[in-house]
Amino acid sequence: MIRLHRLAIAAVAAALAACGSDSSTAPTVTPVLGASASALSSSAVKLTFNAKSGDTGYNIERAEGAAGSFIQVGTVAAPSGGGAVSYTDANLKVSTPYRYRIISVRGSSTSSPSAELSVTTLAFGSAAAEIASDITSNRTLFADTTYTLKGFIHVANGATLTIQPGTTIRGDFNTLGSALFVLRGAKIMAVGTAEAPIVFTSSRPVGQRQAGDWGGLIIVGNAPINRSGSVEIEGSGTDGQAIVGGKNYQVLYSGGTTPTDNSGELRYVRVEFAGFAPSLNNELNSFTFAAVGSGTKVSFVNSVSGLDDSFEFFGGGFDLSYAIAYEGEDDQFDMSEGWSGRMQYLISYKSTNVPIRTGAGSYATDMQGIENDGCNGSGCDLGFDTAPFTQPVVANFTLVGAGVQSVHGAGGGFGMMLRRGTAGYYVNGVIARFPAAGISLRDAATYARAGSTPTPNLATADLAVKNVYIADAPLAFQATSATQNAFDLAGNAITFSAATTAASLFAALPAASASPAGPSAFDFTPVAGSPIATGGLSTFTGKLAAKAGTAVTGTAFLGAAAPTGPKWWLGWTNYARN
Amino acid sequence: MLRLPRLLLSLATLLAAAPALLSAQARQGRVVGRVIDASTGLGLSDVGVQVVGTTKGTATGVDGRFAVGGIDAGTVTLHLRRIGFTPKTVTGLMLEPGQALEQNIALEAATFRLTAQVVTAAAERGTVTEALDRQRTSNGVVSAVTAEQIQKSPDGNAAQAVQRVSGVTVQDGKYVYVRGLGERYTTSSLNGARVPSPEPEKRVVPLDLFPAGLLQSITTTKTFTPDQPGDFSGAQVDIKTREFPAQRAYSAQLGSGYASDATGRAVQLASGVGGERLAMAGSKRALPPLLREVGNFQGLNLSQGDKNLLVSQFRNAWSPQAATGAPNVSGSFAIGGDDPVLFGHRLGYLFSGTLSQGVDVKNDQVRALADRGTVKGSTNEIDRFEGQTTAQSVLWGGLANLSTMAGRHTRLLMNAIYNRSADHSTRIERGAFENEGIEARIQRMQYVERAVRSVQLGAEHAVGEAHLFDWTVTDARVRRDEPDRSEFVQQIERDAPSGTESLRWLSTGNGGAVRTFSTLDEANREARLNYQFSFGPFGAQHRVKTGALVRHTDRHADTRAFSINAPGAPDDVRALRPEQIFDGRFTTPGARVFDIAPLAQGGSYGARDRLAAAYLMAEWAASSRLRVVGGARAEWDRLDVDAVSTLGSPIATAKRWNDLLPSLAVTLTLPREQQLRVSASRTLARPEYRELSPIKSRDVLNGDDVQGNDQLERTRVVNLDARWEWYPHAAEVLSVAVFHKSFDRPIERVYRAAGSGTRTVFYTNARRAENLGVELEARKSLGFVADRLRSLQAFANLTVMQSRIELAPNTQASATNLRRRMVGQAPYVLNTGMTWVSRAGTASATVLYNVVGDRIDAAGDAPLPDVIERSRRVLDLSVRLPIRGALSARLDAKNLLDAPYRTTQGTVTRESYCIGRVVQAGLSWRP
Repeated sequence: MIRLHRLAIAAVAAALAACGSDSSTAPTVTPVLGASASALSSSAVKLTFNAKSGDTGYNIERAEGAAGSFIQVGTVAAPSGGGAVSYTDANLKVSTPYRYRIISVRGSSTSSPSAELSVTTLAFGSAAAEIASDITSNRTLFADTTYTLKGFIHVANGATLTIQPGTTIRGDFNTLGSALFVLRGAKIMAVGTAEAPIVFTSSRPVGQRQAGDWGGLIIVGNAPINRSGSVEIEGSGTDGQAIVGGKNYQVLYSGGTTPTDNSGELRYVRVEFAGFAPSLNNELNSFTFAAVGSGTKVSFVNSVSGLDDSFEFFGGGFDLSYAIAYEGEDDQFDMSEGWSGRMQYLISYKSTNVPIRTGAGSYATDMQGIENDGCNGSGCDLGFDTAPFTQPVVANFTLVGAGVQSVHGAGGGFGMMLRRGTAGYYVNGVIARFPAAGISLRDAATYARAGSTPTPNLATADLAVKNVYIADAPLAFQATSATQNAFDLAGNAITFSAATTAASLFAALPAASASPAGPSAFDFTPVAGSPIATGGLSTFTGKLAAKAGTAVTGTAFLGAAAPTGPKWWLGWTNYARN
Repeated sequence: MLRLPRLLLSLATLLAAAPALLSAQARQGRVVGRVIDASTGLGLSDVGVQVVGTTKGTATGVDGRFAVGGIDAGTVTLHLRRIGFTPKTVTGLMLEPGQALEQNIALEAATFRLTAQVVTAAAERGTVTEALDRQRTSNGVVSAVTAEQIQKSPDGNAAQAVQRVSGVTVQDGKYVYVRGLGERYTTSSLNGARVPSPEPEKRVVPLDLFPAGLLQSITTTKTFTPDQPGDFSGAQVDIKTREFPAQRAYSAQLGSGYASDATGRAVQLASGVGGERLAMAGSKRALPPLLREVGNFQGLNLSQGDKNLLVSQFRNAWSPQAATGAPNVSGSFAIGGDDPVLFGHRLGYLFSGTLSQGVDVKNDQVRALADRGTVKGSTNEIDRFEGQTTAQSVLWGGLANLSTMAGRHTRLLMNAIYNRSADHSTRIERGAFENEGIEARIQRMQYVERAVRSVQLGAEHAVGEAHLFDWTVTDARVRRDEPDRSEFVQQIERDAPSGTESLRWLSTGNGGAVRTFSTLDEANREARLNYQFSFGPFGAQHRVKTGALVRHTDRHADTRAFSINAPGAPDDVRALRPEQIFDGRFTTPGARVFDIAPLAQGGSYGARDRLAAAYLMAEWAASSRLRVVGGARAEWDRLDVDAVSTLGSPIATAKRWNDLLPSLAVTLTLPREQQLRVSASRTLARPEYRELSPIKSRDVLNGDDVQGNDQLERTRVVNLDARWEWYPHAAEVLSVAVFHKSFDRPIERVYRAAGSGTRTVFYTNARRAENLGVELEARKSLGFVADRLRSLQAFANLTVMQSRIELAPNTQASATNLRRRMVGQAPYVLNTGMTWVSRAGTASATVLYNVVGDRIDAAGDAPLPDVIERSRRVLDLSVRLPIRGALSARLDAKNLLDAPYRTTQGTVTRESYCIGRVVQAGLSWRP
């Protein structure tokens, strides 16, 4: 058969030569035969074929879909002794048909294209894999695979975990407390896209998921915190193993020395239904950032129905933008132990107590929008005055509560709880529908950060709240007592309107009693004529300007969405209660 | 044991003579008299007085008086013997029919080599002198408190009695610290066999379990000899139960007390199921079966209906009830004797029972936490709660001791004891939680039941004068049951605009309504065998002693707790009383109020401890003045602790420890009744079982987490002791002791590094520690001051010590001070008092004063200072009065100073309360 084939080719070649006008031209280059193409993943295709002797190389051409035109996407040199050649084409679109053809090159001559090869890239998550042991060397998680975390998985010092856009990682419901720890010295590179976010979620099917189904994402950096001695991640160390080797060994985050430490990057990342408590009252959070340094980049992050805090920051500091917390069962943003990050465009929405996984933990008694502590616990050598202070810049925040004390718990229901000597600059925000009060300056130590004055001066104060709109709450500030103080409203451009409903401020905000169908129910853009469309602090001054640098800028509007700006939460976020 | 053959001989003689006596009752008379100490002239109690050749005999009373009736007229020979005194036979007494012949007799104090302890009791023991005798005849440093001393004090149980011993501190009214060392360095035994501990986190036995009425003596041994267990380094406390009297005796006591803070006052009593007053309520309060079934809830997906069903399982009891405090009552009886009940075979027996009930109130109760202040090491008070605790307690028990001769050389013993106690308490307090920023009212009802059962069989077997075997087999079991503790928390809300105070259930979080069930069960089986061989000339005998011990200990501890909450419950629901909330209205089908969650996961563990030991020791009488005791003990311990972590995976800890523990003691008898003892030994301290279990568990409501450490190693201790003693008279002593202990890797309770919102107690091996101290003890009749003060005796013991522990830097521990005193170590302990006995010996009065220096209760969590339990002074008074015949009265006043218990940390009072004064009156009948 082969012989016949060759004879036929030879005959054709002879015929061409016989009737050709120039018989001295180089021998005709023939295309490769028997090539094949297969999809490696949702974004890569592999071509394989045999080299022909005499060929110097091959041009690879690709066309998208059935009708797309071919363009050359790469070349591959022919192996000197002939044999198999393979070519991997990456960065393709997910679930997309492609056609390939190969053109043989022999010196300056090229062949006609080979027969077309059709292949379709894989869909997201179509394969399944388990992660049941610690990650100790560089590893990539691919988007076509759904990974299941089984147990406490630690990315060890020196290793980088890269996660492709669109990858789904599920915390195993059946392995108690499954969680991903990115340890000090390790990196996570989880850079998704608005179209293909990276999702950490429960292993249970949609509709059966509950807060606390799994642990959460914990990142530990090497930046300083304000507590001395050894401090461990709450919820770690429950099996008593001090050292690597136990299942849930003690993870310390104290003693960091590098404020610029880099733990990697998170972009377009969701964490859903996390917050399992490995021991009583020691819940993990959806996102935990412990001593994470400024080399780390975090933006476009979304927490959904987590059992403890949605975002918790222990010391360290980095720039964070575009964070949205839905229905966290404790604080939506919790900063402490010297956190000094710069944060802009934050949304929290709390309307109900979502169901908790049986046995995972319990609802907090003090759910706030923002809860910031200066220093608390062992190693706070100077108590609430322990330096460095918790001093973030928090700009353009929209905090919406449930409006009912019983949902927030006995000690909860404050838009912002600033206590235990916390500092920071809180500007251009909207606080709405909180049943206790808009803001609490709970301790004298906290008030002292502002200079113990109702109108802190940005030139000198370590704490200031400026240009904030408080609506739908009984009080602007928690009722004044010996230790609880209030800022002057007018002097700080704080507007308090108890009668203004939260819903009246935004383009679309479900009633607290409603059960939103999904993220499309929300539009945090100021509605036309909304008081929050204006009134922002456009120009930063004093210590605020110095601290904000170029990372956070002033805006003319209040809240996390510009009246005309992008609806940045659309497309990649999720709102779900089960 | 030299005495034993003689005793057997005399018993045999008596048995042989008994039938002849039955026909000769007509011509009889009495002998009466008083036995005194030859050196002091004071009456000697409990001197055995026997009419030789008859079954007649008696023991002298507290003033030395005796009377023996029914003696055949004729020539009478009396044999007197008493421990610590040279026996005396008085012959040639001529007794006429119907006559009462008076004969006073003086006994000479024996030289120290008279081995008092080995004499098996025919006479009821227990005097001050005997205590001193035990001290002076022992090879080591021993302190004892005897039934007679307990009788004179207001002490109601062993814990109160033992704090009269030099160097002893009692914590929480039950846990014994000796020489200021933590309780882990003290072991407790009952009649020589280890008592299992009913405490889930401690090795120590709460000595308040043992009613004073059952006690013969409490001996505190402070130096190690190889025939003792090797795992003590502070002390071994041996509780001896009463032995039978020489002739049939009955006694009964009744008492009633008035507590200044409780009796007749309005108190809040916990509501129970009915059996609490007799400590028999455990099973009725047990964990509902359905909740046992669901375990820790993991992997379940409970529907609302399931939750309602689970919530409805609990007893609807959350609130105490107002009542009037009843007076404390107590009663006891004993019957004992030595009668030919077994086909003419003599059987010594003692049956005794005791019961006491009372109401105690802790008033002005304050507890708070210390937070870190803005100056390093300074403290701020947070979470302050004020309130009151009322406890109804009951303690009852009984013992049965039997002893008989099997053949001529073997004595068989059986000893059984059963004690049961319960504390049913309610605590109501109001305060504020700093973290949540709320005010709250907490009501807690707690019921703890403890039971100890021990059965011991043993024998002593003498072969000639030289050989003595003894063995015992003990089966002991202790159980601690804390069924159905309830906590209910209400938030104190001030409603606008009037500011009216409203109490509403703290229905969110996991502390608002909690039920806890815990049990601990420990079984101990122990077998011991000792052999002793004596040789050499009388007065300078040598001894060789060897023996072995096997002990199996099995423990199981289990704790389950459940939180009921109601997320989103409206104010009108939260404002209901707890008994309304849980009356079923919210557990009907369709009700969507309650949620339920398990707490205290990880509170369960089991331990299996197998110990084997063997020893060899020799006692060499180098001269009549110098005795040397040396030897060694080997112990092989196999300890396994199994726990289930909160994550469901089993965690096993296995320890294999083999140790050789040498010891050497030299006793030098000096002229004029002085002695000098020097000893050196190596001992060890093993971790408590819970400490080895690396799981984390938590008390609810801002409690501390507790986490064990499976890396813990045992502590090795080198002990050096020197003691000089002087016995100027039979009931007097002056002694000075110096001790030094060096600990290699002592186990210390510290705070662990933890997250911000939690405090975790943790155990770690420190690098080393040292403890150095001086003990002084004096007991003296005041007759030397003036003759009319002769009936007053003063006594005092003082221990002054210092310790230093050095912690290894450890990433797991959060310790403020790496070098400090050891936890639990007090710088000084002083016990002093005075006793008056009437000339007739029938009335007495005792005043007791006790003070313990400040000691570290818990190590500071960095950078907080250490938690200090403050010094507290206690003054007690007891009076004993004869009324008529066999009836006497007692009057006790306890805690006359009513000094507060106080624990502080920096400037913060962590805990403080007063318990009030107690006056008790009682009647004793001893025919």
